[in-house]
Order: sequence, then C-alpha cells, then structure tokens
Amino acid sequence: MFNYTLRRLLTVIPTLLVLIVFSFYLMRLAPGGPFTSEKPLPPAVMQNVLERYGMDQPLYVQLWTYIKNIVFHFDFGPSFAQKDRTVNDVIVQGFPVTLTYGFWSAVFVLVLGIPLGIIAALRHNSIWDYTMTGLAIFSQIFPNFVLAPILVLLFTLSWGLLPGGGWNGGQWEYIVMPAIALGTSYMAGVARLTRGSMLEVLNAPFILTARAKGLPERVIIWRHALKPALLPTLTYMGPVFVYMITGSVFIDVFFSTGGIGQDFIDGAYSRDYSMLLGLAILYSLLTFTLNLMLDLMYAWIDPKVRSSL
Amino acid sequence: MKYRSAIVPFLLSTTLMTAAFAADVPEGTQLAADQTFTYRVLDEFSSFDPQVVEDVNGSEVVRDLFEGLYNQNADGEIVPGVALSHTVSEDNMTYTFTLRDDAKWSDGKPVTASDFVYAWQRAVDPELASPYAWYMELMSIQNGAAIIAGEKPITDLGVSAPDDHTLVVQLSQPLPYFAKMVTHATTFPAPKWAIEEHGQEWTRPGNIVSNGAYVLTEHVPKERSVRERNEMYWDNDKTVLERVVTLVIGDEAQGLTRWRAGEVDKTDIPSGQFPTLKEEFPDQAYALPRLCNYYMTFNLKDGPEPFQDARVRQALSYALDRDVIVERVLQGGQFPAYTFTPGATDGFEVPEVDYANMTQAERDAKAKELLAAAGYGPDGDTLSFTYLYNTSESHQQIAIVASQMWKQKLGVDVTLENQEWKVFLETRGNQNFELARGAWCGDYNEASTFLDLLTSQSGYNDGKYSNARVDELMAEAKSSQDTNPLYFEVEEILSQDMPVIPIYHASINMMLSDQIKGWPVNNVEQNWYAKDLYKVAE
Repeated sequence: MFNYTLRRLLTVIPTLLVLIVFSFYLMRLAPGGPFTSEKPLPPAVMQNVLERYGMDQPLYVQLWTYIKNIVFHFDFGPSFAQKDRTVNDVIVQGFPVTLTYGFWSAVFVLVLGIPLGIIAALRHNSIWDYTMTGLAIFSQIFPNFVLAPILVLLFTLSWGLLPGGGWNGGQWEYIVMPAIALGTSYMAGVARLTRGSMLEVLNAPFILTARAKGLPERVIIWRHALKPALLPTLTYMGPVFVYMITGSVFIDVFFSTGGIGQDFIDGAYSRDYSMLLGLAILYSLLTFTLNLMLDLMYAWIDPKVRSSL
Repeated sequence: MKYRSAIVPFLLSTTLMTAAFAADVPEGTQLAADQTFTYRVLDEFSSFDPQVVEDVNGSEVVRDLFEGLYNQNADGEIVPGVALSHTVSEDNMTYTFTLRDDAKWSDGKPVTASDFVYAWQRAVDPELASPYAWYMELMSIQNGAAIIAGEKPITDLGVSAPDDHTLVVQLSQPLPYFAKMVTHATTFPAPKWAIEEHGQEWTRPGNIVSNGAYVLTEHVPKERSVRERNEMYWDNDKTVLERVVTLVIGDEAQGLTRWRAGEVDKTDIPSGQFPTLKEEFPDQAYALPRLCNYYMTFNLKDGPEPFQDARVRQALSYALDRDVIVERVLQGGQFPAYTFTPGATDGFEVPEVDYANMTQAERDAKAKELLAAAGYGPDGDTLSFTYLYNTSESHQQIAIVASQMWKQKLGVDVTLENQEWKVFLETRGNQNFELARGAWCGDYNEASTFLDLLTSQSGYNDGKYSNARVDELMAEAKSSQDTNPLYFEVEEILSQDMPVIPIYHASINMMLSDQIKGWPVNNVEQNWYAKDLYKVAE
C-alpha cells in the first residue's frame, strides 16, 4: 500500500509539468491578452506594462520563469485583473470559501442521498420507493441555476429567513443556500445509485447466506450489505467532490460567495494567464489527491482491490 | 504676467459656500439612525491604488478614499478639493494650484503639494507601469510621454512643489479643459511613506493611508468592501454617511432581487427591465444620461469597396430608425444619436446636422436615393457585408434590428458575426472587419474626448477614417477659448463623411433606494462622492 501511494505521488510531477506546458501555450493561442481593452494602450505604455510582467520575453523564457517561481518561491505570479493581489492571495482567500460550502454540500448530498437510497431499496416497490424515486428525478432535473433563484425567492424574498448572498466570514446562514443549490441534483444521483446497488447487493448470494444463517436484518444491512452497496456511490462522489470544492462558477457569481470558481472563468475572459494557470494547477492537484484517497478507500472497502495493489 | 482663469472667481465663491458641495441635508430632514449606504458592484475592483485603478467601480471607491485637486459637484462642475483655486499663465501652459492648509492624511500627516508631485511621477513611472499612464499623456504634462517611453527620468515631469501648498504644472501644449481633468483618480495624491513601507500591499485595510472623506476598513475580494468616515478629513464635520459598503454581485437579476430584499440600496437594472421597474417604483428607478455613445464603425482601410463611397455610408446610417432601437429594443432611456458627441457633454451644444431634423420617412427615402446613386439597390448591385459585434444579448438585438431595417428598406444583405470580447477587440483593432460595433465613454467632460477618436492619428480610430480638415479643427480646439464652432464643423463633416453611424447616447439605469438622498443625477459622468449623500429615515 505504501509503495503504491508513493508510486502514485511520483507520477504527479510529470503530469503537472505536461499540464503547465500545455495550458501555458494553449492560453497564449487565444487572441487578445490581459491588457487588450476597449481603449487600446499607447505603444509606450503597453511596452512598460509588458516589461513589468515579463511578457516582453519569448514564451519559453516566460514559461521557465513561471515554473522556477513556483518551484523555488511557491509564487504563482501576479493577477493581471486584480492588480493589488497575487494569484497566491486569490487562492488563499477564495479556496477556503469554496472548500467550506463544497464540503457542506457534499455532507448534504451524502447524509440525505444515501439514507434515501437505502430506504427506497429496503422498501422496494412500496410507496416509499416511489416517493423517493420521484423526488430524486424531480431534484435531478433542477440544475443549480434554476434551483438557486427559486431558493432565493423563497428563503429571502418571501420568508426573509436567509440573506440573498454574500459570505460574511462563512456564517451558517450564508452557507445554506449555496450548499443546497450546489448539491441537490447530486443528492438525487446518489440516492438513485445507492438504491440500485443496494437492491443488487441484497439479492447477492452472500446476503442470502447471511439470511439463511438467521442473522438479524439490521446486521445484514449494516455489516454486510452497506459496504459493497456504497462502492458505485464512492466512484460517483470522487469527481463530484472535486467539482464541489473547486467551486461552481454559477454558485460563486449568484451567491457572491467570493469563492475561486468565478476566478477561473473571469480569468479566461480577462486573459489573466497566471490566474488561469495557478487555478489549473490547484484543480489538478485536488483531482489527483482526491482520486488517490478514493482508490485507497476502495482498497479499504473491497478486499479484491486491496490484494491487487 | 499671469491672469486668473475664468473658473477662479467661481471657485472662490464656492469656497465661501462650502455647504454646497458636502452632504446638503435640508432642515427638518429626519436622518436614518444607521447611516450605511450599501451598493452592488458587478465585479471585483481592479485596484484601490489611485495611480493603478482602471475600472469605473474601483474609481468610485478611490474617489471616496482619496481627494484630488478638485472634486465635481452634483452638476459635474469642478469645485475645490485639496486645491482651493488655480491660476493659468498667459500662454495657457502653466497651471499653479493653491492647496488648502487643513487637508490631512488619515494618519494625521498634512497633505502637501509634494504628495501630488510624487503621485503624478508615479503614474508615469515605467517601473510602476500603470496602464493609466496614458491619462497623464492625455493631460499633456510636460515630458510625460518621454518619461513613459523611458527616455527621461521621472523627475523631469512638468510638475513641481515650490512650497507645501503650491503645485505648479507645466504643460507641453495648451489644454483648455486641463482643470477638469484633475478630478480623475489617476491625479490623486499618494502617500509615499505608506507605499514604501508596504509595497504592493499598501492598499489593504490597515496599511492604507488616504486623504479622502473615507478610509478603507474591510476588503474581502469578490465579496465586500467597507469604507468608513475618515476623522482626519478636512470637511469631516459635513460628512453624513458613516459607512459605505460594496457587495460584489455578479448576476444582475440577483442584484435586483437583493435590492428588493433591502440588502442593497443601489443596483443596476437588467437590460430591458427599466419600463416595468419604473412603473413599479417610479421614485426609485432611474435612467440618467451618461457620457457614452454607441456607434458602428466602417472599416475604411481594408473594408469592402462600397464603403469607400460616402453615399453608401450615409444611406446605411439614414436607414436606421434610432427611435425604434432606443424605445422598442433598449427601453432604458437612451437618446437617439445623430452626432458622435453626446448632447449631455459639458459646454457642447448639439449642432443641427441635416439628417437629425428629417422624419424617419424622409431619411428612408433619402437613403434609397443615395444608395441607388452609388449603384446599389433594386436597380444595381446587391450590397452585402458583415457586421461584427462582441457577444452580448443587447448588442445582438441591435444587430438583428439594424440588419432587418437595412434588408427591408434598402435590400442590403448583412451577415452578423459575434466574437468573444477580447477576440473582438483584437479583430477590430487589426482592421479585420467590415462594419463593427463601437462604444466610447468620455475620459473627461468635454467634446474632444469623443471627437479626438476620429482624428487620423488617434490610436482608437479603428475604422482608420482620415480627414485633414477634422485633424486641423481638433488641433485648433486644443488652444481655442471658443471650441463650439470648431466642434460643430467637425460634427458637420462627420455627418457628411459618415465614417461611423451614431446609434444612441447612453444612459445609466439604476435602482436607488428612496432613502438615499443627494445623488448627483445631473452629473453625466456619474462621478458621485459618498460624502455628498445621506440616508433619511424610512
């Protein structure tokens, strides 16, 4: 297991390098630059600006400087759009925000989705099952950009219970709506997946054996059925969780959370090269870490996987 | 020999009536207990550094945090700020500002002329590389351009401080509207000691030292910023608003929802919603003239052959029913435009260009005639071209309506093409277009901020229009005391040459809570100062 983890960790470096080089050149292929504006800068001013950011250098020199700064100073460069701040500043401020509401959103997804799925499976073809399935389908067709305005209309405008947006240091009332809006359709997905795999597991021979041995139903469900039934959900939740904690552009813009999701899109529009690259690196590191954790969890849950590591 | 400029008697008189440019609360007004003004901004600010800030919202904050030589009053006229008055030399090349002696920085240090010298040198310093260095160039400060180009040291800039309360500015050419330009953020003073101590982080709360009516006390990028009354401000006694809060709300509709919920006092109106909101909230929905125009520009360099014929350009311009575009499509209180310069521009009287006075039916008939004379239309060749605009719903609506009008009235085939913003700018800037959308907002409140755009040497002249007479007139306007006749002639030439099709002059649409009073509705630059506002009780 240790060797496996080490091997996986070592592959990060070349992967990241390839990612940086590709993204770096791809970004530069897009027409326009960070300083292209409705009022074009006079050539002398443009020259000064480019020099200040080292953008007058050939591309490979800029790339080398960029990588060097990351490796030796952990410096992801300046933001061209938010001129008083660096990319490090932006990540340090915005990432905890998206991590927070992403985390609570994931909690919402799991805490609600899994029990719903289990209940539906246990009460297969009952009113419980139909209600749950209906609810899940209903939730799944509500993308966050439809759900969020509805939540605001209800909780803010009609009932005056929650603030319509903002973050305020992450007080709970500011987290509720972003977490629900972000998580609802995934929650439905989790519920349906859990239901499906639970049904499958409950019909598996080893459950039959357990029942034949006269084990109480509670023990069968909790000790024997749950773990294998959760495998597909785990697979599903891996990428979803990455998506959640790296922030949703829509949630950030709509609820004005100040998270980093919006920086990625803004960075693309404003050609904020270092911001885009910095976030791309952060996203890939997160994806990598979570995938690794997921694989290790697989191994913990599934003995077949464990023995193959 | 020096004489006082025309503005000075006016300035001196306003100095005596200081109440006229601070929050002017009528007697008997019941003020709200909580004097907090909260408003929505679309995006995170580019900077709070006066010499670096580029965006409109950032400049609004900077105007509250810092105070320049002059401020603007509710009508957009200049009134004393740190400077009480100025004199101008006979050749109009030297401006001497007298600074008040009670202006202080938020740390208690006096604001001196050398703070302005430092700031102005900083603005052109190639090392700071402010994109707004071009504004100093525009102000024609002696050696500004050479310093930006790295040919001279910053100490050669034509600005000096003979004593703490005198600032002398040397221009490279006379500029009749120079005094108006010093209300711009780029010209605000900067605290050298704070900048040297904190470097790039000097604008953060806690580090920042400022001389305006407010100080920055909180800033969570992309979420909120808070500025609070500056006790050290020379006119602090007259400030009424205690706190000003900005909330970044990227979604316009959500901005409106939060305005309805009472979370913000001011927000923009999503496009097309002004009429219904005006009906619902007659006293809180505003459409105010704004110093911006919207036009279409012909590519006269590499564009299609027919565009070289002024009759074709005129025909296309005449056939556009601006009233329909403004009243039916945009519905936000914009003004149909027949001149390049907005009528709201200070000192500019809209000249009577021919086609402005025709009815639309007359214009349509004339358009057909002109196009036929140029050899296009039903009896000639079919005119076809591509109209380029940047991706946006309202630009698209205008493009569709315009292409329909051309098609129906003149039989012209227009292909519409939209591009992402920066791609569009690059394409237009490289003259890779036929007809393209354009818009311009004035950098200062004087007609040349618009008309200079159409001179041959202008870096912003994307259509590459060139008319020697226009160049001559605009050059003459720089040193003329009576510019209107010159600008009239330029507009007259433009209406004949029609290098651009003016569509409308812009308005700003906003919802402003009726508790907030003192908003400068007549200031077409919409330069507002929180110190002039106050909040009444509900």
